[in-house]
Amino acid sequence: MAKNRRHFGIATVLIVICTFVVYWVLDSVLLKPAAAVLEAGPIDYLFDLHIWLIAFLFALVAVFMCYALIVFRARGDEGDGEHIHGNGTLEIIWTVVPCFVVIYFAWISTTMLIDLSRPNPDEYVVNAEGRQWSWLFTYPESGAVTADLVLPVDTPIRMDLTSDDVLHNFWVPEFRVKQDSVPGMVTHVRFTPTVIGEYVLRCAELCGTNHSGMLATVRVVSAEDFQLWQSEQLAQAQE
Amino acid sequence: MSLFTLGIARGLLGQVLGMVIGMLLTCAVRILLGWEAWAAEPAWTVGAVCSIIGFLLGVGSLDDWLKWTKGIPTPLHHGPPVDKPAWTRYFSVDYNHKVIGVQYTVWGILLLMVGGTVAMIFRTELARSGLQFLGLDLYNSFIGMHGMIMIFAILLGVGGMANYLVPLMIGADDMAFPRLNALGFWFNVPGSILLLLSLFIGGWDAGWTAYPPLSARGPIGYQLFFLGVFAIGLSSIVGSLNLFVTLLRMRPEGMSLFRMPIFCWAVFATSLIQLTATQLIGTSFLMVSVQRALGMGFFDPRGILGEVSPMVGGGDPVLFQHLFWFYSHPAVYIFVLPGLGIVSELLPVFSRKPLFGYKWIALSSMAIAIVGFLVWGHHMFVSGYNDILRIPFMYATLLVAIPTGVKFFSWLGTIWGGKVHFDTPMLFVLGAISVFLIGGLTGPILATVPTDFPLHDSYFVVGHFHATMFGGFVFPFFAALYYWFPKVTGRMYNETLGKIHFFIMTPAFWVQTLGQMGVGVMGMRRRIADYDPTLGAGQIENWQMAVTIAGFAIAFGVMLMLWNFFQSAEVGVAAGDNPWRSRSPEWQIPSPVPEHSFPAPLHVVGEPYDYGLADAGYVTTASTGDD
Repeated sequence: MAKNRRHFGIATVLIVICTFVVYWVLDSVLLKPAAAVLEAGPIDYLFDLHIWLIAFLFALVAVFMCYALIVFRARGDEGDGEHIHGNGTLEIIWTVVPCFVVIYFAWISTTMLIDLSRPNPDEYVVNAEGRQWSWLFTYPESGAVTADLVLPVDTPIRMDLTSDDVLHNFWVPEFRVKQDSVPGMVTHVRFTPTVIGEYVLRCAELCGTNHSGMLATVRVVSAEDFQLWQSEQLAQAQE
Repeated sequence: MSLFTLGIARGLLGQVLGMVIGMLLTCAVRILLGWEAWAAEPAWTVGAVCSIIGFLLGVGSLDDWLKWTKGIPTPLHHGPPVDKPAWTRYFSVDYNHKVIGVQYTVWGILLLMVGGTVAMIFRTELARSGLQFLGLDLYNSFIGMHGMIMIFAILLGVGGMANYLVPLMIGADDMAFPRLNALGFWFNVPGSILLLLSLFIGGWDAGWTAYPPLSARGPIGYQLFFLGVFAIGLSSIVGSLNLFVTLLRMRPEGMSLFRMPIFCWAVFATSLIQLTATQLIGTSFLMVSVQRALGMGFFDPRGILGEVSPMVGGGDPVLFQHLFWFYSHPAVYIFVLPGLGIVSELLPVFSRKPLFGYKWIALSSMAIAIVGFLVWGHHMFVSGYNDILRIPFMYATLLVAIPTGVKFFSWLGTIWGGKVHFDTPMLFVLGAISVFLIGGLTGPILATVPTDFPLHDSYFVVGHFHATMFGGFVFPFFAALYYWFPKVTGRMYNETLGKIHFFIMTPAFWVQTLGQMGVGVMGMRRRIADYDPTLGAGQIENWQMAVTIAGFAIAFGVMLMLWNFFQSAEVGVAAGDNPWRSRSPEWQIPSPVPEHSFPAPLHVVGEPYDYGLADAGYVTTASTGDD
């Protein structure tokens, strides 16, 4: 048993080191798109928490496995290992502890999800209709109809999604959130753009031949520019 | 010897005839109704149904039952067919579970190669951005085809292992229902032929998940795809019923459930899912099929006036996803539980130590099977179903981590303190653990809804499920092939080639799966023929190239394995009865296993994994005394 204690001591040190190394590797190779909405804050925080969990659990299993394979390799003898059938205490520990971990993750995700779904009385509504293979945006406030999406910065947005034909999906990677648009149904997705710029809306639900090319430009502009754009649209519509 | 002494040749002829008869029947009905005689979709659909029946009649798997209807006795014939070379039994209806197990496995490997080839074609296309040589429609057909062929291949591989091993492991002479067992296998052949044929009549472009409305309006290939899946589903149902009864009723004296070899527990849990969930994918595909053929709009959002609007009472496309995933999520556990069972089965043998926490591992399989029924909604987090459903499905999905964790920790406990041998099967088991670890750990980040938003339907998901499939099925399946190859053929495979295969395939797979996840995080969607080269600060093409090269390395490794098996079946050294010094019943009998596996009924006198305990037996064929 003293020998086992020494093994566990070494393994623990290796696990700690390995956790940081794996986290560092994952953090540097997983290149998330820039964040351009308020909602990216909590989502990316939870993402990071998951990466820590992945790094730790990977280290835990990989270190113990590799360590055991080296230390307990058969050194040319045909004998058997120790006759141990298991350990009830250990089994209960590694059943109960993960229980608490997953419930913790589920709980923080639930509260975060409720926050992300909460309607905002000031939200600006845009209707989006997916069709093979383009988008049509209508702005109920002004009646403008466009093929590209223009949004005011720092304004809570609610997209009301529907579809004319098959399933599509509203996804701007920089906005993180995602929602299917379904024919015969109106679905919602909420976000608040925070960075002025141009992004690409990518349909993320297989929708037939040109699914990969079903893109639309999304421009996030300042409030003044948005007013200007809206009045231009109205003037054009009246001509 | 004429070609048609082979059952499979008669079956294929029967399939062609059935197809023609079905088509003629459709034309005849249409003429009687005063319609135009030829309409491609109904003709192919009815033709495909008749072709499955035609195959089964031709191959002869219904012969005995047809004789029963006339009261003709049909004694079970044991051994190779009379007046024919012995090898022909592998190409005809045979009731011996060992023959059927080999049939399943070989057909599964063939489909694995077809599915892999399809993957390599579109993987090459993806190595660079822009379309090089595939058209958009063909690309879309190929991704679905790759997915479904691989699912068929995996189900066949699972069937192969279960049919060959379960009766041997529990000392039964055969499966409970040998005729049903043969029928279960032969359903797969016309089913997979229909699936492959669908590519030549237009393909189908909605991926293997075939979500309507897209699948309800695409090319005719869908109908053959649906019916192919239907045939395979029937195979799953009768096969799992058979395994269930065999495991419950044919164990020898003294083999309580907790004294079965652990692989049997995995098969038991798998059969539970297959027997009760497969109907749902059949139903959902049948409903789309009927919607296409007869205009019954189960999932059609248009109302009677043909309008699509939230105000018009149409069908519900989201309903399909509920029905579909009620099978197709548990199906993932059908694929991985037997593989994890193989890992648990082989670790004690090569660690020379009892399986750590036998009961916990056995019950964790059951827990995964049962919780697996409650998590289908995580595929629908962004589908537009009621928002409230996201929360219970998130909790249920995260719960799967617990029994899966029990398996990992118990495996570590098994290795710890053992005397580990690194033969090829053990290497693949360790590879399986490493790969399934990657697949498992990338699960929770998809299960918590906020982090699922950016990752859902991205390439990250592709990386995640390829890791679970390779870790849960492909690596353990290859481990099983190497491990039981000497039992099936009586000869040893080439160990050096086996190790080369492992050391090429394992790092290549790590690169592939991490690369797929990486491009997904960058923002690449799944199922797209072309991607934006500016993603990931312009790094994405390098990643894609790495994934493609890794894919080819894996394919090379698999070819190496198959060549090894072909070669070694002829020239390998005689393996002996028990080269691995295993305690399992199948290793206590000669290799290859004789027609009647066990000379006398087994008696179980001890625990299955008592390695390290001198003179502790597990099974004996000797009479225990007073009987």
